Amino acid sequence: MRSKKWLGMLSSVGLPLLFGVVIFVLWQTQILHSWMGTDTITLPLPTRIGEIISQNNESIGSQIKMTLIVALGGLVAGSLLGYLIAVIATIFRKWGAGGLTIVSAFNAIPIVALAPVINNWTRDVSNEVSVRSTMAKIIVVTISCTAAMSVNAFRGLTELKPFSEDLMKSYAASKVTVFLKLRLPNSLPYVFTALRVSVPASVIGALVTEYFAEDTVGVGRQIRENIVKGQYPTAWAYIATACAIGIGMYIILMLVERAVLKRRRA
Amino acid sequence: MTNAKPAQKGFLPALKRFAHSKKMVTLVWILGIVVIWEIFAFIVAATKRTPVNVLPHLWEIIGSFFSDKKVTGKMTMIELIGTACGETLSRAGIGFLTGIVLGYILALLMNLSRVVEKIAFPYLMIIQMIPILGMAPIILSITGDINSARIVIAAILTFYPVSTNVLAGFRSVEREKHELMYSYAANKFQLYTKTLIPACIPYFFTGLKISAPMAITASILVDTLQGGNGLGCMLSQSLKGGMTRLVFWDIVLISAVIGILSFVLMGVIERLLCPYKRNRTSD
Amino acid sequence: MKAETKRVFLAGVAAILACAQLTACSGGTSGSDSSSSTSAADSSVADSSSAAESTAAEDSSAADSEAASGLMSSAEIIKAAADEGTVGNWGLGNEYEIQALLTKYGLPTDYITMDFTMDQFDSDSVKLASAMTYNELGLVKNSYDGGYGYGDDVSIIDMNDEGVAMLEDNLFTSKAFAEANPNTVKAFVSASMKGWAYACEHPDEAAQIVFEAGSSVSADHQAYMATEVAKLVTTDMNDNSVSASDVGNMDETAMQQTLDLAKQYIILEDSSAKDKLASMTLDDIRSTDYLTYDPATDGAPEKTSVSVQLKWLPQAQFMGYYVAEAKGYYDEVGLDVEIISGGGDISETTAVYNGTVDFGVTWVSNLINANAGGMELLEVAQVYQRSGLVLVYKNANYTK
Repeated sequence: MRSKKWLGMLSSVGLPLLFGVVIFVLWQTQILHSWMGTDTITLPLPTRIGEIISQNNESIGSQIKMTLIVALGGLVAGSLLGYLIAVIATIFRKWGAGGLTIVSAFNAIPIVALAPVINNWTRDVSNEVSVRSTMAKIIVVTISCTAAMSVNAFRGLTELKPFSEDLMKSYAASKVTVFLKLRLPNSLPYVFTALRVSVPASVIGALVTEYFAEDTVGVGRQIRENIVKGQYPTAWAYIATACAIGIGMYIILMLVERAVLKRRRA
Repeated sequence: MTNAKPAQKGFLPALKRFAHSKKMVTLVWILGIVVIWEIFAFIVAATKRTPVNVLPHLWEIIGSFFSDKKVTGKMTMIELIGTACGETLSRAGIGFLTGIVLGYILALLMNLSRVVEKIAFPYLMIIQMIPILGMAPIILSITGDINSARIVIAAILTFYPVSTNVLAGFRSVEREKHELMYSYAANKFQLYTKTLIPACIPYFFTGLKISAPMAITASILVDTLQGGNGLGCMLSQSLKGGMTRLVFWDIVLISAVIGILSFVLMGVIERLLCPYKRNRTSD
Repeated sequence: MKAETKRVFLAGVAAILACAQLTACSGGTSGSDSSSSTSAADSSVADSSSAAESTAAEDSSAADSEAASGLMSSAEIIKAAADEGTVGNWGLGNEYEIQALLTKYGLPTDYITMDFTMDQFDSDSVKLASAMTYNELGLVKNSYDGGYGYGDDVSIIDMNDEGVAMLEDNLFTSKAFAEANPNTVKAFVSASMKGWAYACEHPDEAAQIVFEAGSSVSADHQAYMATEVAKLVTTDMNDNSVSASDVGNMDETAMQQTLDLAKQYIILEDSSAKDKLASMTLDDIRSTDYLTYDPATDGAPEKTSVSVQLKWLPQAQFMGYYVAEAKGYYDEVGLDVEIISGGGDISETTAVYNGTVDFGVTWVSNLINANAGGMELLEVAQVYQRSGLVLVYKNANYTK
């Protein structure tokens, strides 16, 4: 039983790794390039990318910091706002549900297209470029993380186990108690479902807003600068960094989810 | 909720029914947003030199759409946005369909083999993480043509929700059903056509509802990568001062409307294809 | 009764919620725009007056001409703006001249990223803003559609006067394409330059041609742009005029100055690209072999259907190509030309490199940058003979 579980773990880590190695070899030996009809400038070799990362780890590190501030700031703000909207929608069910439809419609707007305009909106916040620019970036990420959280959290807060609400009522539990003891814990798995969507969204959102930001910092900004200037190997070093940030945040989320949900079940 | 009561005739009761309906809720919300927008637009108009660059009035945006003033050498706003819309939507449509097919096939493969699933899943995630900007030059060098590159990118960005949702649909079929089909001596093909594929349809449509607006926003985004015609191209030209900023606002508004319509359209198709959705009234 | 109050309350919540989506973004739009800008201007005046004595002497010519109008000297203005952190540029390869200028005055090379509008300049968040003479400067000064209407209330610092000018719009192709299709390149260059010569002599007609070709820029701005672009094509960095027959010529000194500045200010993180840049010579980036075309001796073009990608939106900045197309100059040399507008993030250097298009229009510095990255590109004509980049400022911000 235990060994079977281990085997499962091993295969779910080992198989993708093995596949990764195969891709790496194909990439490094340029077989991948000949399949795709591209060349080593458009798609630089992994060793070259690694070389650039190792030569510039200090400056890349500082860019990562700037991107992380935006991504995490927006993720936290967006998730809190989304949850708050869900809570209000739960309390005022009829109007809330309608509001949620509107909020999820925000998803249909290309929010990143708003990035340049949001720069105009934050212009008077501060004379300091880095302050107003970071704020504008966080706002964009916040908006793009809100919808997923509010829709999912609303489901978590309202789709209770059959009769559990009636049971609570029969205990003469107040609305607040029902909320704290029943709805809140019930929404936890849904919160994680939302986070699985919004964690990658926050990273991508942060990268894209950096393209348009006033302050010339961040991993996304470096990707754009280098792509436009035709410095593909350097651009790819930053793309690899961006992927690593996204994957890292996702792995952390999975670990937290496992820990939290396991404790709840126990 | 008012269905249970006997329907009353007359204007006033109809109004009353409307006031209690879901439509009313949505209407109030939309009105609320419009009011807020306008309040800020008035503040901006009073304090800024170029309010159209910050937050124009809604009526200015809508008015400019129908104005017969030429915004480019040849076209009025409605012509410009119409042609751009046509280009972008056709690319988004082709990309979306390709994405659906790819996503569905991938979900099937992942369901058929655990090995495929275990390999593919993390890489699906990684592909979603690669910024379009990095992907675009590679795809462009493969396709050699910016418009096909745009379609490919739209497909890549839309297939993920479809395949994850379809896979969840396959997984949702209970063990008993599998065993039942097994006891009927059904082969794998029959198992899929009779049980799994019908079972995953609602999940499939959940995926479509997520990815349809995504296909449109993605197409607008990839439009901005190079010149040409398309909503994104016009949007970026407008932002770069190439033409009046109202083009930008019009496109933002239009893209929101199209995005919502695409979501609604998926719901309509679902209702047409799935009898269970048709018969059950919304509750 | 209860339902009634609840509904009113709900409508309030609905409004607040909608607020949350929008206010988060628009908070501060009602802020005190004017007061913040005046106080900032005050401090900059105070800052620079102390520096006035030390730097004014260095740049006496600029100081002399501007002293009369009560403005601070260029040197003072640049220093004040840099100290305040309000120098703006678009980045993405457009920043080298500005960085060279800042270095010239011993200042750090940081700048605020401008979007491609003059909104930041308008709101004083960028006080010394980059502008192209033919585009942004016109928008700032004029009051036609899209303009900001500052008229003579703004002044400029010209990169050519400051000695940090780099050459801009050129015509290039890939080395591989030029080797395989020399006659096509020659034919395209000569027909395009004929278009440019005509356009510079008849800017109004050229503007009309570009406008009718589907340009999105307004006809008024197009006419302004055509006149200003003609100046850049027919005047060199030292204000000497260039004859129309020399359009496309690559001035050795100007090219060398561009390359030298590029070597100094292009910062690369890729060590092999860095090495390549350091050892780059003019022969690596340009060839004068394709400037003249004689069908009788050279022969017909190898490839007759070609495309050219512009560096930016379709506008009079590229009028020569539109004129050559409209006047049939391309037909005369047996070419079928497609003009593709640019302005996206897949730059013209990338598009020419991977063969999506045959020719491109870019700035010399961008071509140098791309070649350092390993793209084998070749400049075949230099259209603009002087830099079109200026720094624009509001007089009110920098009056003594």
